[in-house]
Amino acid sequence: MKISIQNLQLKYGDFTAIENLNLDVADGEALVLLGQSGCGKTSTMRCLAGLEEPSAGKIIIDDVVVFDSERGINLPPNKRNVGMVFQSYAVWPHMTVFQNVAYSLKMQKISKREIQDRVLEVLAMVGLEEFAQRGASLLSGGQMQRVALARSLVMRPSVLMLDEPLSNLDARLRDRLRVELREIQLRLGLTCVYVTHDQHEAFALADRIALLQGGRIVQIGGPREMYGAPSSASIAHFLGVSNVMHCDTVEIEGSMASVRVTGHDIRVSSSHGIPSPSAELKVCIRAEDLQVTAEQVVTAEQERPNSWKGRVRVAGFQGNDMRYAVELDGGLELDALGTIKRGEQHDVGDTVWVSVDPHQVQILPAEVYA
Amino acid sequence: MSLKTPTRNSPAVAATPGTATATGKRRSLRAVANLRRNYPTAIIIAILAVLVLLPLALVLLAAFSNSVPRPGNISLGSLTLDNLAFLGSPEALGALGNSLIVGAGSAVVALVIGAFLAFICARSDAPMRRFIFFIGMAPMFIPALVGALAWSLLSSPSAGYINILLRDLGIDAVVNIYSMPGLIFVLGIFYAPYAFLLMHSSLSMMNADLEEAAGVHGAPLRTMLRTVTLPLALPALLGSAVLVFALTMENFPVAQVIGNPAGVDTLPTYIYRLMSATPAKSNQAASIAVVLTAALLVITVVQQRIISKRKFTTVTGKGNRPRQVPLRKLRWPFTILALAYFAASVLLPMLALLAASMQASPFVASISQLFESGALSFSELGQVLTSHDFQLALRNSVLVAILAAAAGTILSFIASYIKYRTKSKGGTAIELIAMTPLAVPAIVMGIGLLWTWLLLPVPVYGTLAILAIACVAVFLPQGYRGVSASMLQMDQDLEDSAVMLGASRARAIVSVTLPLMRVGITSSFLLFLMLSMRELSASIFLFTSNTRILSILVFDDFDNGQSQAAAAVSVLYCVVIAVLAIVAQWLGADRKPKPLT
Repeated sequence: MKISIQNLQLKYGDFTAIENLNLDVADGEALVLLGQSGCGKTSTMRCLAGLEEPSAGKIIIDDVVVFDSERGINLPPNKRNVGMVFQSYAVWPHMTVFQNVAYSLKMQKISKREIQDRVLEVLAMVGLEEFAQRGASLLSGGQMQRVALARSLVMRPSVLMLDEPLSNLDARLRDRLRVELREIQLRLGLTCVYVTHDQHEAFALADRIALLQGGRIVQIGGPREMYGAPSSASIAHFLGVSNVMHCDTVEIEGSMASVRVTGHDIRVSSSHGIPSPSAELKVCIRAEDLQVTAEQVVTAEQERPNSWKGRVRVAGFQGNDMRYAVELDGGLELDALGTIKRGEQHDVGDTVWVSVDPHQVQILPAEVYA
Repeated sequence: MSLKTPTRNSPAVAATPGTATATGKRRSLRAVANLRRNYPTAIIIAILAVLVLLPLALVLLAAFSNSVPRPGNISLGSLTLDNLAFLGSPEALGALGNSLIVGAGSAVVALVIGAFLAFICARSDAPMRRFIFFIGMAPMFIPALVGALAWSLLSSPSAGYINILLRDLGIDAVVNIYSMPGLIFVLGIFYAPYAFLLMHSSLSMMNADLEEAAGVHGAPLRTMLRTVTLPLALPALLGSAVLVFALTMENFPVAQVIGNPAGVDTLPTYIYRLMSATPAKSNQAASIAVVLTAALLVITVVQQRIISKRKFTTVTGKGNRPRQVPLRKLRWPFTILALAYFAASVLLPMLALLAASMQASPFVASISQLFESGALSFSELGQVLTSHDFQLALRNSVLVAILAAAAGTILSFIASYIKYRTKSKGGTAIELIAMTPLAVPAIVMGIGLLWTWLLLPVPVYGTLAILAIACVAVFLPQGYRGVSASMLQMDQDLEDSAVMLGASRARAIVSVTLPLMRVGITSSFLLFLMLSMRELSASIFLFTSNTRILSILVFDDFDNGQSQAAAAVSVLYCVVIAVLAIVAQWLGADRKPKPLT
């Protein structure tokens, strides 16, 4: 086990930022701490780095106990051999790119010759070998990001941590760097801990995602598992499911469950069943799983469930897709995404049928407390 | 944190006895760690306490005592309430009244001048606007003492150049600077730059969008100025008025030079008179000092409130130029008014000082006499320049200023670091103590420091060190604020990343934080240097015959009636300060001088 966090707790006065957090990260694994701002993900990372002193708990990195509140152990950050790429990059403007990257090697009192070799090697890896003598204040955002990354890589850290590594970049650069980051991580077999609030970034970078809410890990698992089976409606909502509605149970038949959307005469069926009928339940449907058609889709055997009549209230052209706000009879409004190439287009005021495969419907507890 | 530990762990303690011992051990380890971490904080608090709090405590104690520390007798005497009765005396009440009138009057004068200059400089199409900006802040480089001296040369009733000129012209009028209006005038013109700089930054940083929005919504220019611009500038307006009120009320040199011949005592001059009486009425002086400090404390708190509100109201622009008001026919008259202020605050005083230091005969019967050949010579200036007194005072001044600037900057840096870069509980206390001298008149600080360093078993009294200590204590708020502002502008990640890369905290500060704060630290150093060069009010109680500095030399010469010598030293004093200011500019670190709030 590369990193082991046990019963970690962090308090600021009366406010609890991290509550009894347990987490293990395997050697060479990329773990993403995902959550909204204020969920404790950055605090967790700063505790690992040693920039924040936890109120209680134990942290082991590379078989070294770096923090243990019971034994009064708290190694300072410079003794932990942990690399960290800050959200602001924190590239020093008064030094050249070379000086920035060479900093940690100078601290280790490595010979000039070797510093030269290792810095240039790592700069080549991030594609900045030609910028070595450039002043760091003259770099673009993407280049600064690479300098920050190179600076942490060159010290050969036990663990590399990255705080919102892509959030300050424009969309196109972000896509490219995301792939590059993943590539470098896999190539070097680095143990990485990322912090992000962006689910797409998390899916692309992670072997495993730990989802944090209110200072606790509420779900942990692989990206596909997280996407396909969120364990609560609020997690589903955070992961981009836009139709999340209160519901009451109507009937359960084997794995098929039917619910009624609270306050509306709309029945929704799911083939995934119901987790625990006692909890407060919500029905969750992704916008892209909703089909919007002019006629009701009728299959041979029987009347299709999950098919409702409504009226297009807003239609927004998005290039590849159309985004619809459809008001069903009875007033419930659904958010639906239609691919333009695949199907029909509808205008505001059109009467349409909205349907969804019961397999794409999830009925989830509103919250989970792991 | 250690206080909270028991409550947090109490359920665990109750559950199993095993955890109880672990908890106890953990607590003691924590305590040791806390102690080790907190001791730099404790040292800084101790230094600040001796520097700032102890002097104030001694003044307060002296106000309720019947004796004070002095060389050879460092006892504090016994407690008494007698000094309080003294506060009701007509002299004390008169001085208090005069102080309030002087403060209010000069605040009005300074505000009118400052706001007028700021408006035409920042928001109008008047000609010579860049020069008007210079006009607005130039008097700041003239020590108030020198300004007062110059104006007493210009218009003392008998021998002032203006009155001689009036007599020459056969005009039967006397401009008497030795009067209450004269005192208000001199303080007003020399403190106007503070109002000017505050108003100017408020008017020029105002987001033009806010005003244009008013135009878009149909307001004509005049309505826009009244309903948008004025309310937005109001906090700066009020803030600078209160600031000038506080600064002029505690001002000692001007009140002494102008007010003393006029028989107008303000609280600071009254304190000085009591302290220099034989035998010194130190306890009465202390009780007056307590009143003055209390008044200033209230004013400072009010001023800080107003200024801190400003942050929310004046939205800083993104470099878009605020709207200019066309003055039309008034363009030149307004500029001429600004030039008139320049004449009154810089030109005439400097000419008067030059004339006075160079005139061959001590008596001037008519202005034309000054233009005769041989009437002016550089001999007096040369004599002063080569005199032992001047050279010693110059050396002392420079030494004191450099010492104070170095110590003050280091102290400010450490204090800001603890406050803004650590989680130490002491940070708030440190900031409070560091900002306290803002509400303490320099003259009171001087008395307190005198007693403190007589009491402490350290041989500092009578050396230059005590003068440097005084400068650090008096100007600590300005230095601390400058360093803090620069520290807050710097992202903490920059330093943390150095630590993440293997540097120790100290190494990270040296290799990253200090180089990146270079500009802020240098300008705080220069600010300390400039302010220390001008200091008089606290030093007046602390110097000895061997440790006179330039400001003391000017003051002594004037006090002894040697106006010519005082003028000559003043001229050279201004040259030294100008050289320092130019060096500061040249170093490129001192951008626009900040208002010394």
